[in-house]
Amino acid sequence: MTDTIKDFESAIAELESVVKTLEEGDLPLEKSLQLFERGVQLSRFCHAQLEEAEKRIELLNERGELRPAPASFGTDEGEKTR
Amino acid sequence: MREDLFDLPFEEPAPDPELEVREAPPGVSDTSARAAERRVITVSELTAAIREALESRFFEVFVEGEISNCKVWNTGHMYFSLKDERAQVKAIMFRSALRYLKFKPEDGLHVIARGRVSVYEPKGEYQFVCEHLEPHGFGARQVAFEQLKKKLQAEGLFDGARKRPLPVLPRKIGIVTSLDGAALRDIIQVLRRRYPNAHLVIRPTRVQGEGAAAEIAHAVRAIGRVAGVDVAIVGRGGGSAEDLWAFNEEPVARAIAAAPMPIISAVGHEVDYTIADFVADLRAPTPSAAAEIVVKAKEEYCSRIDRLRDRLRASMRHDLQQRRGRVHALLARRGFGAFTGRIGMRGRHAAELSHALAHATREHVARRERQLTRARLRLESLDLRRRLALVRGRLVAADGKMTAAASRRQQRLDGRLRALAGQLETLSPLGVLSRGYALAWNADRSAIIRTAEAVTPGDRVHVTLQHGELSCDVVSVSDTHPRAGNGTPEPENPEPRR
Repeated sequence: MTDTIKDFESAIAELESVVKTLEEGDLPLEKSLQLFERGVQLSRFCHAQLEEAEKRIELLNERGELRPAPASFGTDEGEKTR
Repeated sequence: MREDLFDLPFEEPAPDPELEVREAPPGVSDTSARAAERRVITVSELTAAIREALESRFFEVFVEGEISNCKVWNTGHMYFSLKDERAQVKAIMFRSALRYLKFKPEDGLHVIARGRVSVYEPKGEYQFVCEHLEPHGFGARQVAFEQLKKKLQAEGLFDGARKRPLPVLPRKIGIVTSLDGAALRDIIQVLRRRYPNAHLVIRPTRVQGEGAAAEIAHAVRAIGRVAGVDVAIVGRGGGSAEDLWAFNEEPVARAIAAAPMPIISAVGHEVDYTIADFVADLRAPTPSAAAEIVVKAKEEYCSRIDRLRDRLRASMRHDLQQRRGRVHALLARRGFGAFTGRIGMRGRHAAELSHALAHATREHVARRERQLTRARLRLESLDLRRRLALVRGRLVAADGKMTAAASRRQQRLDGRLRALAGQLETLSPLGVLSRGYALAWNADRSAIIRTAEAVTPGDRVHVTLQHGELSCDVVSVSDTHPRAGNGTPEPENPEPRR
């Protein structure tokens, strides 16, 4: 068990195995605590990853440039003004 | 109508004039005479007449038949035959007309052909010039659809193995659709509601009308070049089969197949299937559904992680409870008394150890402190040395000034010394000697002889002159005043002792 977390998918896989190991029990106390801490760390990482994306809407124009979309974009209000 | 076409050449009302010409005996005058009344025409004239008759009669006909021997030449024109059970007609379709076909004509296809009949005079052949072809029984589009589907399927573009999994957590979601369609609004609304921090990159494109397919394909390629877009929704809202047609065209299918990231197709409604749907990595029944699919993974992961975390906590709690329970159970057991004794012993041992540890720690700390003090002293001395150097510098400078002052002072002293020496000179008895006086010393030079009584005849006296000294023996002593005192020996024996 290392401290590093490769990516979201490996984190979730590891979290699953941690939970399973803990649930099976029969571990020395130190090991249980260690696993628990690792589990908390992994679940925090996963949550952070889930919320990481940036809230943004951009338009890609003919010249291949990205431009932020107007604020009202995609709303009913935006529909009317277009 | 077809009967008419074939019967036409034989409908000439007059008996065949050429037949008669051939039967006539070879006589020049005879022939020319008969030719006049029989109205002979040339092959070209005949052919031209046939052509005119055919083309005016059949300038627009619809022919139903099956395509055979179909071949597109490298000029771009297509040569084929239209046939039924009993007859066939040669046909050509020029490139200019071929271009507008929504499907590819091929052998065995049952079609209705619109066109005209024309005659190719150099060969005396008539042919059907096809202006438009339409598959019989179903629309051209459907045929084209089936054809393209078959073709792409054969290439393996629909293979399940080609389908890429959607990203677990899309970082940037690409959208290729029309700016003013319902699709875009639907997608954005769903994402707003369920994945508020989604990052969308929209590539607007026309989605229907002439040239729309090429535009969509272009847009798909463009969005594929945007860094970080890890899934894209390509689609449009509902519409007529014609409106959705662009998504059945090959360029769109090719662009989707070649996209670097997974593509979700979302064309029209649930019932509408397009070629794009088959090529896409995932088909969404509607644009909103496509958006739901994209966020679903995220929501699923969210709840999965929450569940895992709950289980993690629960199992840890359970684990600790069990351990606590075991400890209590042990405490309650009778054998525990002996145990406590042992624990007590261990406790003392532990106390001793802890004492030793504390001592060792203190020792260690003290050692460290000493080290620290030494280090600090060294550090301070270093500082001192620096200050020393500084002071030394100032000292040297001061020294210079001082030396100058000292030498001035010395000069002053020297002058004074010389003056004093002069004074001293005048006070010196030696000065007196230079004026001709002499000093008389007793034998051991311990005293100057001032009176005659101080010596007796026979004594040795020493006389100091300005230059040199005399040793004299006293011959006689007279008590008279020095004025008569001849006791002073004359320098008859001026032998200096030194």
